[in-house]
Amino acid sequence: MVVRRVPIIFNEGILSEHVGPWWNLKSYRHKKTRQILKDVSIYVESGQLMGILGNSGSGKTTLLDALSGRIGKGTFLGDVYVNGQKLKKTQFQNCFSYVLQTDTLLSYLTVQETLTYTALLALQKHSSVSIRKKVDSVMAELSLSHVTSHLIGGRVFSGISGGERRRVSIAAQLIQDPKIILLDEPTTGLDSMTANHIVTLLSELSRKGRIVIISIHQPRSELFKVFDKIAIMSCGELIFCGNPQEMIDFFTNCGYPCPEHSNPFDFYVDVTSVDTRSIVREMETYNRVHTITSAYRNSDYFLRTLEAIENAKHRKDLPPLPFKNQDPPSVISKLCVLLRRTIRNLSRNRTGIILRLFQNLIFGFFIAFFLTRLKMDVHQGAIQDRMGVIYQCVGATPYTGMLNAVVLFPALRAISDQESKDGLYQRWQMLLAYILHILPFSILGMAIFSTFIYWTVGLHPEAARFACFFAAVLVPHLIGELLTLVLLGVVQNPNIVNSAVALINIAGILVGSGILRSLDEMPKAFELLSYLTYQKYSSEILVINEFYDLNFTCDGRNSSAGAGSGSYCLFAQGNQFIEKTYPGGLSRFTFDFVMLYAFLPSLVILGIISFKLREIIIHRH
Amino acid sequence: MLRLKVARTSDILGCAVQIHEVCEFRMDSRDTVFSSEDDNSLYFTYSGKSNTLEVRDLNYQVNLAAQIPWYEKLAELKMPWEWNTGPESHMLSIQNLNFKVSSGQMLAVIGSSGCGKTSLLDIITCKDEGGKITTGKLLINGKLSTRQIVKKCAAHVRQDDRLLPNLTVRETLLFVAKLRLPKTFTEVQREKRVEDVIAELRLRQCGNTRVGNEYVRGVSGGERRRVSIGVQLLWNPGILILDEPTSGLDSFTAHNLVITLSRLARGNRLVVLSIHQPRSDIFQLFDLVLLLSSGATIYSGTACDMVQYFATIGYPCPKYCNPADFYVDLASVDRRSREEEMVCLEKTRSLTALFWEKVKDSDDFLWKTREGNKIVGSSDEQGAYAISETAINVDSQLMDQLPGGFRQFCILLRRQVSNDFRDLAMLLIHGSEALLMSLLIGFLYYGHGGKSLSIQDTTALLYMIGALTPFAVVLDVIAKCHSERAMLYHELEDGMYSVTPYFFAKILGELPEHCAFVVMYGVPIYWLANLIPEPEHFLLNFLLVWLVVYCSRTMALWIAALLPTLQLSSFIGNAFFNSFYLTGGFIISLENLWAVPRGISEISFLRWGFEGLMQVQFRGLTYSIPFGNFSIQIPGTLVLSDMGLNSEPLYACYLVLLGISAGFMFLYFLSLKFIKQKSGQDW
Repeated sequence: MVVRRVPIIFNEGILSEHVGPWWNLKSYRHKKTRQILKDVSIYVESGQLMGILGNSGSGKTTLLDALSGRIGKGTFLGDVYVNGQKLKKTQFQNCFSYVLQTDTLLSYLTVQETLTYTALLALQKHSSVSIRKKVDSVMAELSLSHVTSHLIGGRVFSGISGGERRRVSIAAQLIQDPKIILLDEPTTGLDSMTANHIVTLLSELSRKGRIVIISIHQPRSELFKVFDKIAIMSCGELIFCGNPQEMIDFFTNCGYPCPEHSNPFDFYVDVTSVDTRSIVREMETYNRVHTITSAYRNSDYFLRTLEAIENAKHRKDLPPLPFKNQDPPSVISKLCVLLRRTIRNLSRNRTGIILRLFQNLIFGFFIAFFLTRLKMDVHQGAIQDRMGVIYQCVGATPYTGMLNAVVLFPALRAISDQESKDGLYQRWQMLLAYILHILPFSILGMAIFSTFIYWTVGLHPEAARFACFFAAVLVPHLIGELLTLVLLGVVQNPNIVNSAVALINIAGILVGSGILRSLDEMPKAFELLSYLTYQKYSSEILVINEFYDLNFTCDGRNSSAGAGSGSYCLFAQGNQFIEKTYPGGLSRFTFDFVMLYAFLPSLVILGIISFKLREIIIHRH
Repeated sequence: MLRLKVARTSDILGCAVQIHEVCEFRMDSRDTVFSSEDDNSLYFTYSGKSNTLEVRDLNYQVNLAAQIPWYEKLAELKMPWEWNTGPESHMLSIQNLNFKVSSGQMLAVIGSSGCGKTSLLDIITCKDEGGKITTGKLLINGKLSTRQIVKKCAAHVRQDDRLLPNLTVRETLLFVAKLRLPKTFTEVQREKRVEDVIAELRLRQCGNTRVGNEYVRGVSGGERRRVSIGVQLLWNPGILILDEPTSGLDSFTAHNLVITLSRLARGNRLVVLSIHQPRSDIFQLFDLVLLLSSGATIYSGTACDMVQYFATIGYPCPKYCNPADFYVDLASVDRRSREEEMVCLEKTRSLTALFWEKVKDSDDFLWKTREGNKIVGSSDEQGAYAISETAINVDSQLMDQLPGGFRQFCILLRRQVSNDFRDLAMLLIHGSEALLMSLLIGFLYYGHGGKSLSIQDTTALLYMIGALTPFAVVLDVIAKCHSERAMLYHELEDGMYSVTPYFFAKILGELPEHCAFVVMYGVPIYWLANLIPEPEHFLLNFLLVWLVVYCSRTMALWIAALLPTLQLSSFIGNAFFNSFYLTGGFIISLENLWAVPRGISEISFLRWGFEGLMQVQFRGLTYSIPFGNFSIQIPGTLVLSDMGLNSEPLYACYLVLLGISAGFMFLYFLSLKFIKQKSGQDW
């Protein structure tokens, strides 16, 4: 392979960001801004591994974020040149690959599957043979060949090791053949040996004509020679940038020689950090940092960087912009790949499948256990118990749907956040794939549940009515899950979503179902509100479905002739009861079904909107 | 751009000059990077007899399988019959360990993960983590260590800071001082002790700041860690054991913390700490170092001689390399492949044998340079410090006498109340939750004006009053208990107080919040829905709501104390609540229940609450219902007996509810007393 020289340059990068809490209007109006990066200029050539050092808060992650085009809220001044061409903001993402600090991977896929699906999402005009070749070569490059068919693993069960997982994350980026790779703290959370291995591997990657830039918190001294360039940052300023030997010379000249038995990285980072614990210390350390910075700005190293930047800008013989390998497939085929991936992931998740299929059934057992069998006598609670069953079916099935989504979706959401930033697909496509893949499970799960509860408890024994029952119970369960998805789009914390959906459901059932509060006697505002609740339609269907043409006994007597004297059977016939609770409900039966099923597409659309919103919200932060 | 370039070239001319100036600015490097504190004096030293800790030929075996708790095995869908532990799960975690340290010294145990650091601290603190000592012994002051001896003279600072977030640093320490210092101390002495500790740990500037946690803003991480140390330091232990004290702190803070620890050691204490990978600046602060690798001793001796030792056996530390990193790596075992692991183990074995050869004849099993330098800071030279603080030196007999149960109860109660009432955010959330719920229900059943509520609506309303909010209460209480439990079990383990005073303090401390909550929830509904407006009916109603919510609260307390994780507790709490809900008499008619659910309904507080509320509203009232052309008069008692809610007189409902809550409280007490939850399981 011909080593192309791909210099990238960041010139005078200034990034400022709004500070202060959002509710503090005054500070908002004042536009109090803080400069996070100050005047940073770097020059890197292909074949080089660059390490950015600095304490937390020094701006190293912000620098990487800025490069990868992931700065939303702040303003980014300055230019980035690649091969002598100034990059437009929209091109950042296509040019750089960014590996985040946390590995967001699906835990039930094998290494090979993970990479193959990424390849399928990113590359279209490749045959499956060439994709396999690509995946194999990437795995070989990152020495993952021995774990190709191992599961990734996660919190609950162990799969491949932490170092291997990190390498899978890097491999997923390599699929697109980027020439410039940025990594945010790739060694955090790994033990020293694995960390060293990863950095050595990255330096090998850079030797093959790539630029690799990593931020690193506390590198070990063994890595000293591995880096081609080291940049030290503090308080958003570039303190020093140069090769390791230059670094030692520079700091020795500044009067801070590294003690013999000490890690130079640690030592120099400490020398250049500001200690904010007391004012005195802060002034002292700040002055020290300032002196070092000005020494650097006046040094040869800095001058050479500036010269190289100027030269590169004016050179004409450089190759074109090295965009990532991108010929993305169509939306439909992306959806198919996403769907296949989510199904494959769930198919190995024993707990997840059991949860989806049998959670409702457990609940059904609960009801059946307490209720045993419905009676026909009003005085033995025929009406009360039937209403109780219906109330539980409408009230509890959304709850289980919500639990499924709260447990299983956030992991997928995290992945879609990351992969959509990589430009693989958009967030709503993942949402749609998720919704499609839950459908069969929900339908099957609810079929199991309703079959069990319908015939065990002894609801109206008629096949058609059972079908109606199933159709009307299925929707609340799906709505519960969809509603959770909608909220998960805009609210980050699943626990809050959990409580919010629970509250919405309780409010809905109070207002809409007509079981707890007779609809015609409610205050007007609530009556209008009740048309917006799905509980209104589903409980109306269920009640009519159950009570229509059902005749009860009253103290053992079949009193179809209405209220017998001395007996207080108000409703001996189901039809009377329907007329009382849902006046005119019988004529609305079909309409109710239409309304109920209309909730599903509207929630899907809401979900898509909410995930579009999410895109905007995340971009602005 | 050109102009700029010119300007910069001209700068270069000045560059050499400037660097020269910088050189004159030079200071002696190491000390200036980290602030050497101006204040080096000791404010609070250990006043008891000096201690020695000695380990002889210790071998310790752990059972790895037994360390995984049962609920995690269940979560992985492993059934109990699959749990049987094979012989391979037993692992020798410490082999043939020997060392001796005494007061005035700081011993750092270093090594990569899995080298036996944690096991060693477990042994010293007598914690039972499923391991057993196979041979050898642990001696404290020449006596075989027992749990009692350890409790009396050693304090254990855990890796994670478990403190009440809404108390200030000074309050935190003061409450502990009241609980932990013997009876004979006066208030003034206690306060003096707290001030001494604050001064010793350099916490003065943040003494009145809240401690905080990950959600509540408070003092910084390093300060919080020092408060944790202060909590233990208060009762003046001679031995201080710290588990990874620097993890999660930045370099400046970690450095300062270790300086603090070494100062504590100078104050005639014995400090043992485990540390994963010390940075070179921290490493230089240690007196003694014990380097372990898979349980075997690779080196033990002074920190400053470690490099020299390894140089003599043929492993010199390269230039610009942190010796701690270098030698920890040298001793660690690469488990990535079978062959490498064997090679590493072989290397470790030879290093261990080599070290054993050098020290086996010495008295304290520490390596010394050939000149036989005396090890710094052993107790004899430090004895002078012991005399200065005789004022607070108390007879060791009296030391054991901690405040009595009732005093503990009062202190705990005050601590809980002052912590809870400062948690404004939580109070507001719970308050608005209650208010929102009550307004929603109230307006939904808005009953003023035209006609009053129908029978069905009144019934539904009464059931909802009793059943809706307790559910939220159950979840809130469970979450809160789980967030506090780690601290609770640490403090119980440390013997700071016993279960009984805590139990009463907890029960009583919950009451004010509970009352406020019920007022906010119960009152608006009653008037909005226009239930019977006589004050006595209202009071009876209010009392019932109070009792029902209280029952759910005590149930939640019990379940939180019974089960190990938050998830399990919420799940079981949910299941319990749902059983009570279904057997409450509204969803399913009481008469239809078969034997088991009927039994459950007898202890369902929702059912008794519902029965009481119904009786209050319906007894003595007659409803007329239009039915066709004529209207039927329905006496309220008929509604009651129709639903099976007329079985007991009204006062019985109150008594039963009282009994149920007392029962849950009793169960809660038993769970606290007999189920020791392991600390640090969840958060």
